[in-house]
Amino acid sequence: MNLDVLIGAGVLAATLRLATPIGLAALGGVITERSGVTNIALEGCMLVGAFFGIVAADRSGNLAMAIGVALLAGMLLAALHAVASISFRADQIVIGMALNILALGLTSYLDYELYGTTGTPANLPAVPSLDLGPIGAIPFVGGAIGRQSSIVWATFVLVVVLQLFLFRTVPGLRLRAVGEHPRAAETVGIDVRRTRYWAVLASGALAALGGAYLSMAVAGSFTDGMTNGRGFIGLAAMIFGRWTPVGALAAALVFGYGDALSVSLQGADIGGFVFPVQLLSTLPYLLTILAVAGFVGRSRAPAADGIPYEPEGH
Amino acid sequence: MRQPTAQWTQGPAVPVVSVLVALVIGGIFVAISGHNPLVAYQALVLGAFGSPYDITETLVIAVPLTLAGLSVAVAFRTGLFNIGAQGQLLVGAVAAGAVGAALAPLPGVLLLPLTLAAGVTGGAAYGAIAGWLKATRGVNEVITTIMQNYIVVFVMHWLLQNGPMSAPNALGTPASAPIGAGAILPIVIPNEILPLSRLHAGVLLAAAAVVVFWFLLWRTSLGYELRAVGLGARAAAQAGIDPKRRVVLVMAIAGGFAGLAGMIQVSGLFHRVFDGFSSGFGFDAIAVALLGKNSPVGITLAAILFGAFARGGTIMQSNAGISAHLVEVVEAVVLFVIAAETIVRAIARRRGTPAEALA
Amino acid sequence: MPPLLEMHGISKRFGELQALAGVDLVVSEGEIHALVGENGAGKTTLMNVLYGLYHADAGTIRYRGKDARIGGPRDAIALGIGMIHQHFMLVPPLTVAENVVLGDERGGARLERRAIEERVASLERRFGIVADPAARIEDVPLGIQQRVEILKVLYRGSELLIFDEPTAVLTPQEVDELFGIVRTLRDEGKTVILITHKLREVLAVSDRITVLRGGRNAGELVTRSTTAAEIARAMVGRDLRDIRARAAAERGAPVLETAGLQALSDRGAPALRGIDLVVRGGEILGIAGVGGNGQSELAQCILGLRAVTAGRITVAGADVAHDDPRRTRLRGVAYVPEDRRAEGLVLAFTVADNFILGRQDRPPYARRGILDGRAIAADGARLAAEFDVRPPNAAAIVGTLSGGNQQKVVLGREIAGSPKLIVVSQPTRGLDIAATEYVHERLLEQRARGAGILLISSELDEIRALSDRVAVMFEGRIVAVLDAADASEERLGLLMAGHAEAASPL
Repeated sequence: MNLDVLIGAGVLAATLRLATPIGLAALGGVITERSGVTNIALEGCMLVGAFFGIVAADRSGNLAMAIGVALLAGMLLAALHAVASISFRADQIVIGMALNILALGLTSYLDYELYGTTGTPANLPAVPSLDLGPIGAIPFVGGAIGRQSSIVWATFVLVVVLQLFLFRTVPGLRLRAVGEHPRAAETVGIDVRRTRYWAVLASGALAALGGAYLSMAVAGSFTDGMTNGRGFIGLAAMIFGRWTPVGALAAALVFGYGDALSVSLQGADIGGFVFPVQLLSTLPYLLTILAVAGFVGRSRAPAADGIPYEPEGH
Repeated sequence: MRQPTAQWTQGPAVPVVSVLVALVIGGIFVAISGHNPLVAYQALVLGAFGSPYDITETLVIAVPLTLAGLSVAVAFRTGLFNIGAQGQLLVGAVAAGAVGAALAPLPGVLLLPLTLAAGVTGGAAYGAIAGWLKATRGVNEVITTIMQNYIVVFVMHWLLQNGPMSAPNALGTPASAPIGAGAILPIVIPNEILPLSRLHAGVLLAAAAVVVFWFLLWRTSLGYELRAVGLGARAAAQAGIDPKRRVVLVMAIAGGFAGLAGMIQVSGLFHRVFDGFSSGFGFDAIAVALLGKNSPVGITLAAILFGAFARGGTIMQSNAGISAHLVEVVEAVVLFVIAAETIVRAIARRRGTPAEALA
Repeated sequence: MPPLLEMHGISKRFGELQALAGVDLVVSEGEIHALVGENGAGKTTLMNVLYGLYHADAGTIRYRGKDARIGGPRDAIALGIGMIHQHFMLVPPLTVAENVVLGDERGGARLERRAIEERVASLERRFGIVADPAARIEDVPLGIQQRVEILKVLYRGSELLIFDEPTAVLTPQEVDELFGIVRTLRDEGKTVILITHKLREVLAVSDRITVLRGGRNAGELVTRSTTAAEIARAMVGRDLRDIRARAAAERGAPVLETAGLQALSDRGAPALRGIDLVVRGGEILGIAGVGGNGQSELAQCILGLRAVTAGRITVAGADVAHDDPRRTRLRGVAYVPEDRRAEGLVLAFTVADNFILGRQDRPPYARRGILDGRAIAADGARLAAEFDVRPPNAAAIVGTLSGGNQQKVVLGREIAGSPKLIVVSQPTRGLDIAATEYVHERLLEQRARGAGILLISSELDEIRALSDRVAVMFEGRIVAVLDAADASEERLGLLMAGHAEAASPL
């Protein structure tokens, strides 16, 4: 077995490709959970982003509009979550699950209605890749990053932006306060509900971007349920990454690497023993359990995460 | 200990209303996409209950769903959220399939109980892991069980695609070796009377499980303690009932119910373990438990309803050309309305009691 | 010049409870004004109205001579009113400086850490407050955390600072440091309202005093010309009831002994600082004290619901300090908790089911793990009748019963097993006269039967009516143990407010 299978440029390129949707979902998760709302409907937001992006690309032929529609779709689904969880203080897990089922049913239903059994059309406006020209010629590194979708690069930028936002800006400080001790934030005049609404909407947009990446940049089409749990891997990455954008990206890269390996090691022979690549895919989930259980450092959610906030009685 | 849902003492009004609202919204949805909602629902109902054969097909889905619903409900009663019914079901299925195939030559009187035990034990063990993590390290069982669901899916991929359990079969899909004849749950209505019926003795097991659920919760000391912890954890604690000790046990029981569901799928329906089979029971089980208000009768009715949706939906698609995924939209709305009801009650309860009044 | 603050006729009701009824408060600029009263008197509620966290049902507020409409904390802050809460409103992972400026960061969108820390440091220098601006709140002791709360209000330019029970979590040295800060604040022209029930503080640092009792005004005093006794009398009032004549019971062997008992509160501060107690069979030992001085923690430690950090607890000769509730109860300990709805009962269960709580795995209610429905129903009916539960329907859901009847269910369950030691905490809180009388009768009955009773109550009448001996708890210690004959209302009031000199005979 040659090392290329493990760390070749191809594997690294695949890592970036596979990590991107996970990372975007994870970023969305970081934002909402840092504000104190558990959003397990990221999977659903990804899915609607994937679907409506394709539909908009098909109907308008305009890439920018398609991405815009995808983000909007994610935000609308997230808005349902926000209203139910923040204004009505419903159980966030149940609402999240209901929305995931809704997203799956809705997109599959509309897929059938619009495209029947033939599937989504083929020649849709593609998301441009970023050709790094001469850098692409550098051995090894060039192969990995020389030609990646612009959304991949956008994700990196978003990670930096969100990291700075959370820890170096005033609105970020307030958001973190709301997630840790909402009553304290309220007593200094911060609008807890409004902060949380924005966070949830933003998470919907981020997850939807991840979905749009899957359908428009990678597959070029939509298939029912194509997100296939990536929203949940994103949540795992968020937990494993300790609720920071940079950590989430790092975790997404680790998980993406595992994913890439499971493809590149398929059928690989190690001394006569076929490598069980499918077991590699369990790694993200195992690692997350270990992280949450405290076996791998301390991973602690924001203190008020998932607890509906009851404003002081008047 | 979080209380994910209130234990409502009102009657079936809310679940019924939520289903009706969901059907109306679904109907509107159908109308907007240019179809006739009445046609759609008629096809759905006929597909689910139109003929004795249709009814058996509905029940074939309702049976494992009931068990999975019991799994979720028994955890809810203690204040725990078992999202892992899907994973526990699959572990039970794999365990049952492995035992049923490995000991295939044994006669039914031995093999069937062994297979059943394997299924239940497998699911129980898997559930207990989540319980143990919660009791000893305070890990949120929601996170653990979601992760566990995915882990078992991939392990199954490996086992069945090119791993130790994979065996060739006529369809060419990844699957395990067939279980021995002794492990098969017989069809309850012989095909001479009802041709093509797939309804197997698992329906009897499910009925028995419902009774066990009821008996456990309302007729045993353990059940009393579980309900006390779920409804009044602090009162239970000061009375000497230790919430932590119960967690592992409850998750194991919950896993056992789900594992039994998995075993039934293997022994009654497929007679081997297929990669990717019986997906989606876990999430539906949560809806079933909530809709059925965590009660034995409610869960049974809700499972039949959802079985009807699933079966009717498939027929609706082939006969009326309306995507079966409409059913998922309806189910999602049901869940939404139920979640919303909890808030209404919570608000009503708060108005009646004094807020922080101590000076 | 008009007073800085005039609150007039403030009323506030929460459901059935009238927390404030026509309360007045007048505070002059530049003074340190103590707002005094027992738990439940209405002090914090009144200040929450002032700070905009609650809306009053009636009454007016005038600030600097003008009508003030305070709809929320932001309005109060805008007027120049700042509150230092009893339960700190600080965000643990953020730093001292970040907590101080949160919500009013004064800069661009960028978080300028150094600038903020410098701003906070200069504020600290001006008022003589010491706290490392760059330290994270979760790493900092409670005394420092309180200073951060003070800095928060000063940062927002507060002229009127409200301190809500500020010394609850402080060590004696920290208390003195706090008083130094309060005096500096006054010297710098600030006005301070100090909510407290501790006489030592009132006498040490205040200029004028307003006393509340039961949601109403009970006195306005000038510190310099009043005495501890006078304040205590106003706080505690004159609702005397005749001390019940009762037969002297046979005092048996000790059923409860604690030695050097120590424990921490939920917030990690010391709640019990070395409690020595003895309760004998056939006697009622009353624990008097304003809520929050360790009484709840004492009951919890005895029952095994709270970890004991040092010392011993012995029940009927057995060491139970580290036993769980189940083991402790098997020794013959019964418990009537102070929060009957959340701790004493499972509200969604029936009356009969609540009667067996704790005994659900033993005969006659269960054999080999299986419940005996008939035995449960039979005993449920019997106990409901015996303990006068109304309506006498053992299948009724307990949550639908009135407070008094709920308490009877709790009593019935706890007494039914003929316990050796009964720990009761605030047994008649929220009950009407009839129910209160009933509870008292049953407790006296148990005393006559030979049980030892530890009665924890903030109601002085109750303590005096029932106890054979009275121990007063203050700040986690027993400051005195008096025989009933020596436990006059005035003396108890002084002791409860921390005036330890009253322990020796007057």
